[in-house]
Amino acid sequence: MTQDSLVADNLPYLDISDPGFSIRSSEVMNAREASWCARTNYGLAVLRYDDVQKLLRHPKLRQGSYRWPALNDVTGEFARWWESMLLSQEGDNHARLRRMANPAFSPKLITTLAPKFTELATMLIDEFAPKGECDFIAEFTEPYATGVICELLGLPFERWRELADIAAEMGLALGVTFKKDLPTIEAATKRLFDYVEELVEARRAAPKDDFIGMLIKANEDKSQLSDQELLDMIVLAIFGGIDTTRNQLGLAMATFIEHPEQWALLAERPELGRAAVEEVMRVRPTVTWVTREAVEDFTYNDTPIEKGTTLHLFSQSATSDPRVFDDASFDITAERKPHFGFGGGAHHCLGHFIARGDMTEALKLLSQRLKNPRFNGEVEWLPDSGNTGAIRMPIAFDPA
Amino acid sequence: MKVHVNMDICLLHGQCVIAAPEIFSFDDSGDLHWVEVIDDSQVADAEAASDACPEQAIILG
Repeated sequence: MTQDSLVADNLPYLDISDPGFSIRSSEVMNAREASWCARTNYGLAVLRYDDVQKLLRHPKLRQGSYRWPALNDVTGEFARWWESMLLSQEGDNHARLRRMANPAFSPKLITTLAPKFTELATMLIDEFAPKGECDFIAEFTEPYATGVICELLGLPFERWRELADIAAEMGLALGVTFKKDLPTIEAATKRLFDYVEELVEARRAAPKDDFIGMLIKANEDKSQLSDQELLDMIVLAIFGGIDTTRNQLGLAMATFIEHPEQWALLAERPELGRAAVEEVMRVRPTVTWVTREAVEDFTYNDTPIEKGTTLHLFSQSATSDPRVFDDASFDITAERKPHFGFGGGAHHCLGHFIARGDMTEALKLLSQRLKNPRFNGEVEWLPDSGNTGAIRMPIAFDPA
Repeated sequence: MKVHVNMDICLLHGQCVIAAPEIFSFDDSGDLHWVEVIDDSQVADAEAASDACPEQAIILG
């Protein structure tokens, strides 16, 4: 991509495709002080709160991650799905698909789902709590995030492992090692489509009045929802729901381990559960950047931005921006401006009510059952950019 | 039915414009506009918009 007009500017440069690059590094903070944006190997990185907020829904920008496979020089079945699913669509097509999916993710559902979240979390904690230690990812966040999706899709919880493995392997596509991991990603994508096709056939034979049932009904009119769109949408629900929540809850635990007084406070005051979710997503979002692309040439903050330029809106950098957050330290009792962990604008995360609800119930319960949590061995992390999180997190705690 | 948007919490995501384009719209400068009084035929759309609002800023009554 040519960025000639920008090269002339004295903008800082960040090599964001380096697996060692950290979204939380002093390099990023220094760049944020030097300028509202930095040049990167993928276009521009937007670093300050006010600019991220404005650019999330700027009329000259579209959702940009549809080009993520192309930027990584990747083709195949994952790329086909990624480029055609809801998140990558714009305009009328996007609106049609979004209106169709919305009812299955409405906030009214949360009230009915909350007891199920608690039941699921209790069952998982009961399994490992007596030991006083666990791998928090393998024994909690992964089965929990997947169990929630099983609930949403009307699948028996016993099938969680299969789905979790697929989601984790497909999730590698969102990291900076996308191309290297392509064979694993392609194999996982094929398994998921096979799984979903089988599921749709079973549901056609035995209809249910749920998310999949609703999509199957819409699919009776192929102009409303084609066969491929039906499969793509279910794959998105599985992919989008598991990996993100798994990672975000792991990041929550890591953050609380570093702030034990906040964990104790949450245990005492469970009504802070929702605020805890928001505060974790402000300081350690799994989605470390939201991607936009210029649909035409325009000028922003005196910087010419050419059509086709990719902008990465750095969520964590924006929500620790000292221009907006006087004291940006982790505090679940603080009144905060909104974070960007669910993106924003037309592509605001579809599943956010469910994610907020399930993470709230999980953190409330965990803080009461796992006292004094601490790391208990090496934590294995995904790269600290793209979609980040822990793969393995051994912790010890005092069971309560 | 009356439609109101609490602009103190609205973040202009535009989910209401997607869910109920006959009630909610953006003008060229990006400001949100909405029909303040709707008839019965539009209630389902207004409720869909209210449910879809990430900030829960839409008040129907």
